Amino acid sequence: MRIDRSHRAWALASLAVFAISAAVYVIYAGTAPRGPRGGSAVGLIFGIVGFGFMIFAALLGARKRVATWRLGRAQAWMRGHLWLGLLALPMILFHGGFHFGGTLTRVLMWMLIITVFSGIFGAALQHYIPRLMTADVPLETIYDEIGHVRALLREEADRAVESLCGNIGLPKSSEGEVQRAGGFTALRPIAAAVVPLRTSAAVSAGASAALATAPEIILLSEEESAPLRRFYLSEMRPFLDHPKQSGQRLTDAALASVVFAGLRTLLTARAHATLTELEDICDEARQLTRQERLQRWLQGWLLVHIPLSLALILLGALHAVMALRY
Amino acid sequence: MARTRTTKKLAQRIDLNYFKRPTPLKRAKFWLSLLLPLLGLVWIAWRGFSGDHRVYSSGRLSRAHAVLDKECAACHVRQTGAFSARAEDNACLGCHDGPIHHASKSATPDCATCHTEHRGTINISAATNQACAECHADLKTSHPDTIYTSHISSLEDGHPEFAALRPVAGTPASDPGTIKLNHAIHMKPIRRGPNGPLVNLECGNCHRPIAVDADLTYADPKYRAAAVSYKDSEEFLPIHAETLKTPKPVSGRELMAPVKFANACAGCHSLAFDKRFDEGVPHDKPELVNAFLVRKFQQYIAAHPGEVRVQRDPNRDLTGKTLPPQVRVLTPAQWVVERTADAEELLWRKTCKQCHELTPSPKSAQRPIRAATAQGTDAQEVSAPLTELPYLAPAGITLEWMPHAKFDHDAHRGFTCVSCHPKALTSTESSDILLPGIATCKTCHAPGPGHAESRCFECHTYHDWSKRKEVTPRFTLPALRTDGR
Repeated sequence: MRIDRSHRAWALASLAVFAISAAVYVIYAGTAPRGPRGGSAVGLIFGIVGFGFMIFAALLGARKRVATWRLGRAQAWMRGHLWLGLLALPMILFHGGFHFGGTLTRVLMWMLIITVFSGIFGAALQHYIPRLMTADVPLETIYDEIGHVRALLREEADRAVESLCGNIGLPKSSEGEVQRAGGFTALRPIAAAVVPLRTSAAVSAGASAALATAPEIILLSEEESAPLRRFYLSEMRPFLDHPKQSGQRLTDAALASVVFAGLRTLLTARAHATLTELEDICDEARQLTRQERLQRWLQGWLLVHIPLSLALILLGALHAVMALRY
Repeated sequence: MARTRTTKKLAQRIDLNYFKRPTPLKRAKFWLSLLLPLLGLVWIAWRGFSGDHRVYSSGRLSRAHAVLDKECAACHVRQTGAFSARAEDNACLGCHDGPIHHASKSATPDCATCHTEHRGTINISAATNQACAECHADLKTSHPDTIYTSHISSLEDGHPEFAALRPVAGTPASDPGTIKLNHAIHMKPIRRGPNGPLVNLECGNCHRPIAVDADLTYADPKYRAAAVSYKDSEEFLPIHAETLKTPKPVSGRELMAPVKFANACAGCHSLAFDKRFDEGVPHDKPELVNAFLVRKFQQYIAAHPGEVRVQRDPNRDLTGKTLPPQVRVLTPAQWVVERTADAEELLWRKTCKQCHELTPSPKSAQRPIRAATAQGTDAQEVSAPLTELPYLAPAGITLEWMPHAKFDHDAHRGFTCVSCHPKALTSTESSDILLPGIATCKTCHAPGPGHAESRCFECHTYHDWSKRKEVTPRFTLPALRTDGR
């Protein structure tokens, strides 16, 4: 979620709540005979409010699971999550009088700090990374599907190479029935559409292959196709299999461009269209790697934020009960 | 032919049920969300089963109670059937008494109001200023007749100048002591000392803490060894009735001991009374000095009978005064009376008067002196127009200038005396109070880092420890040192 003008009301309200709370705290801390304490009336109020904010923030996860329930707009929940979650930290600091206290309370304070700061970090990433992704990854796909799209790219490349070199002995993948986006035509299984020899033109994916016109088979002689065969088997196929492996020339766009330019000089002009297609596939594979890296940043912080916040709610409730006892 | 990618074609690559499939990220989120709270619960349960409830503690115990760190139940006593186990006053009073502040105190707060536990390894006796300010910020409300300053919130906010330094009815405060001492002269190089010229006194030559042996550079062993007849009550002003006692024995290094003539003065200030004698008179009451003189002269004349023939000393002839005969022959008793009178005149008018206030005493206008004759016959009462025995005002030395506060010189031993008592270098009158004002204290004692402690407890004590009651011990070493199990 981008933090833009639509957050203005939440930001102002949060600032007002913070300012009032800070003023109350300063007066309270200056006059309380025992100093600011969580067990005092004011301290308890701060604690209850802070814990309430935490619970509201944690309910965002539950809200997402019942997206169809009429519980307010998802955007409002997210804004509330952001701003009230942020406010929870000063409230709890006021609650404890900026003391971290004993073992449990210290653990809770650190968990809260890490949770809040991981949230701030995540919010900052969500503000920045999507723009970066739009610029760097025009062929962005769904993160969870990157592995599958890579496999499709590999198959497409295999077909393109085999359209020039004939069968080069690569294994053919078979995919079970899956429901695909893209309308009626997409409902046909991709595996059934696999044709060994196709022109590379207009073939971008397995599904589209089903619709492609009959391919123009331009088989090169063994001698003509040798450089391409060698390049593909030794360099491009390993790159498509393991695009993140370091030391590969194709991971770098500039180097890849040089490599393909070199190939063009070695191959006959009839193969240049397919070479362009292969270069395009490499570019898409690089984009997917970039997307994967950005997505890891975009979602990785959740591995800290969510488990910690759940543990925080659980142990916070326990702290409330035990604090009332002692 | 170029490779074409339409939105539709790109979409066709996506499995519509992709979100139902577990991914590594989803799996990691799920398991971490499950395991982390579970880990927290296991940790809490483990501490609970092992009987260690410190995990719920809101903070470390103070230094004084650190030994009870694992003994939550020592203070947190749970009543049967009750959920709460809050620490009550009874738990505190089981180990140490907390006497009241003073009899007229309107309300007695809970122990924890001032002594808050679980705030780390702090000094728990260090109450906050707010605890004192509860009453002292507006003392008139709770004690309308109070004679004390009624609006004190802290050292910086409302604390008055020390009472000893405050003017009384427009008159500047003065030292009630009667010993005349010119500090300024004593702090400059002095021309003549016991061991030679140019004595340069240091404060410590005269002023030492009570528990510290006196500096004897300027002492006289004879005077130190001599018993004196005057009592402390004649030297020192009584301790203020409202002075609060400290809960612990004092080290004796807090306050300076009163300066003694035998230790600090006798080395230079001779009490010589006659050139026939090397020794001086005792540093004692006039009556005893007189008796000493008579005894000394009687012994002398008995040993030197020829001295009853007295020749007129032309150096002592005074214009306008009837001259005595050139040669007189006195009886030993007369001789003793005359020599005693001479010696006393020297003492009362010069030597003693240098430091003491001497006023005529009506009772001693005519003093009979029982003087033995030189031949050792029966004592003969000789009535003579002697100099009056003067009345010596009590020294009136103030032992504690701040009866409502405690000061520790030992804690300030790193500072030179004159850095706090600069008037000692310039004071010429004994009525000058050389006690530094509160502004001097505030130079170092102020809130915030880089300053010394400035909270009320640093100088004041709340409990009246004179009313302390003994408590019955309730812990055993094994119970405490084996976690009470």
